[in-house]
Amino acid sequence: MGQSDQATIQAVLAGNKDAYAALVAQHSRSVFRVAYRITGNEADAEEVVQDAFMRGYRKLEGFEARSDFGTWIYRIAIHCALDRITRSAERNSRFVTDSDSEADAVQLPDRTPGPEQVLLSREIGAFRESAMHCLTPLERTAFMLRHMDDCSMEEIASALEIAPNAAKQAVYRAVQKLRQRLALLKVKT
Amino acid sequence: MNHLNEEQLIELYYSHDGPEAARHLGECTQCARTYASLQADLADLKSIDPPPRDDSYGEHVWRAIAPRLPVYPARPKPWFRQPLGLGLCSAAACTLLVAAAFYAGRVWEHRQAPHTVAVRPAAPAPQRVVVVLLSDHLDRSERLLVQLKHANADDTGLASPLRDEARSLLVANRKCRQDAEHAGDPALTHALDHLNQLLSELANQPGGLNAAAIARLQNEMNTDGLLFEVRVLRSRIPNRQPGQNRRLDGGKA
Repeated sequence: MGQSDQATIQAVLAGNKDAYAALVAQHSRSVFRVAYRITGNEADAEEVVQDAFMRGYRKLEGFEARSDFGTWIYRIAIHCALDRITRSAERNSRFVTDSDSEADAVQLPDRTPGPEQVLLSREIGAFRESAMHCLTPLERTAFMLRHMDDCSMEEIASALEIAPNAAKQAVYRAVQKLRQRLALLKVKT
Repeated sequence: MNHLNEEQLIELYYSHDGPEAARHLGECTQCARTYASLQADLADLKSIDPPPRDDSYGEHVWRAIAPRLPVYPARPKPWFRQPLGLGLCSAAACTLLVAAAFYAGRVWEHRQAPHTVAVRPAAPAPQRVVVVLLSDHLDRSERLLVQLKHANADDTGLASPLRDEARSLLVANRKCRQDAEHAGDPALTHALDHLNQLLSELANQPGGLNAAAIARLQNEMNTDGLLFEVRVLRSRIPNRQPGQNRRLDGGKA
């Protein structure tokens, strides 16, 4: 952790609340990225970012000086995102069902370029994103951390507080499920 | 090797670590095709990028959460940083300093003490007494040896004073010999040993000190040589002040 982060944390704990703004400014974009990848939508990611920084602020007294604040808040954001998608699992399942109907709409026999092709690409992208919602929160989070953020299995296990083998299995299951969904898309297109 | 299953292929994709699996892919077109399909699927998923956020995003987040965050109460200063604590610390430090200075002074004084004793004017006195005692002893021994040298075999009246003087000198001779040995003076030690034998013969002659015994001692004990040795030793001793030996040896000289 940078010396400035440590000094900022000391200032916050000494009663200077506004000093925390510097930490938010420095780390909010990386927190947003991981939050978006796990939640899959912008609004939820925004909520997760705010929730993560608020939770971090309240836990700041327990922050160990030898740790890296960026890594620490990143883990908090993962937990916040995981909590959020777990709570909205029912809504997500509805979203997947809706997506299925969207996927059905992808069946376009005409491949002529133009507005239709652009629309097709957008809908394929939407389908891929919706495929993520067929995963459980744990599978989705583990897969995102492994696939997007290049975290090692040990880092994923540590962040999710599970055994390394459980993290590995979660990633494998996620890949298998996603490939099955993508196979459907290929058949339909 | 059997065909790779999906789990092995996924592990190979992420870990890039599996020489056997990689070798198999080079040999098996079916597994290579499956692996290529996996790579293509996962590469498609890489394209899910979050919408970008500009530099002001942090301020936006801060404005949203700041009203909901409490202010940490200012931590009380540690007791040693408060005014009273500072005073106590200063007082303790001063006390410690004074105690340390006192102790250092005591140690320094203790170490200096032996040097002070060494330079006292009275310190050489015991050495001087020893020197004076030795000088007196050698004087008396010389006189005894001269008397023995010139003793007439027929002069029986001289036997008793010689024996008494020899007995008297024996004690002093032992003391002087001991001092000479401690002082590391081999010549003096040897001479006093020789003198001790003579004095013992004179003091403890069986049947009394008669003319025959005196004559035998003069021959056997080489009293002339011993007299010469004593005179040489006497010449090595610094001159003493007149009358001093009377004070030190009780006026026997």
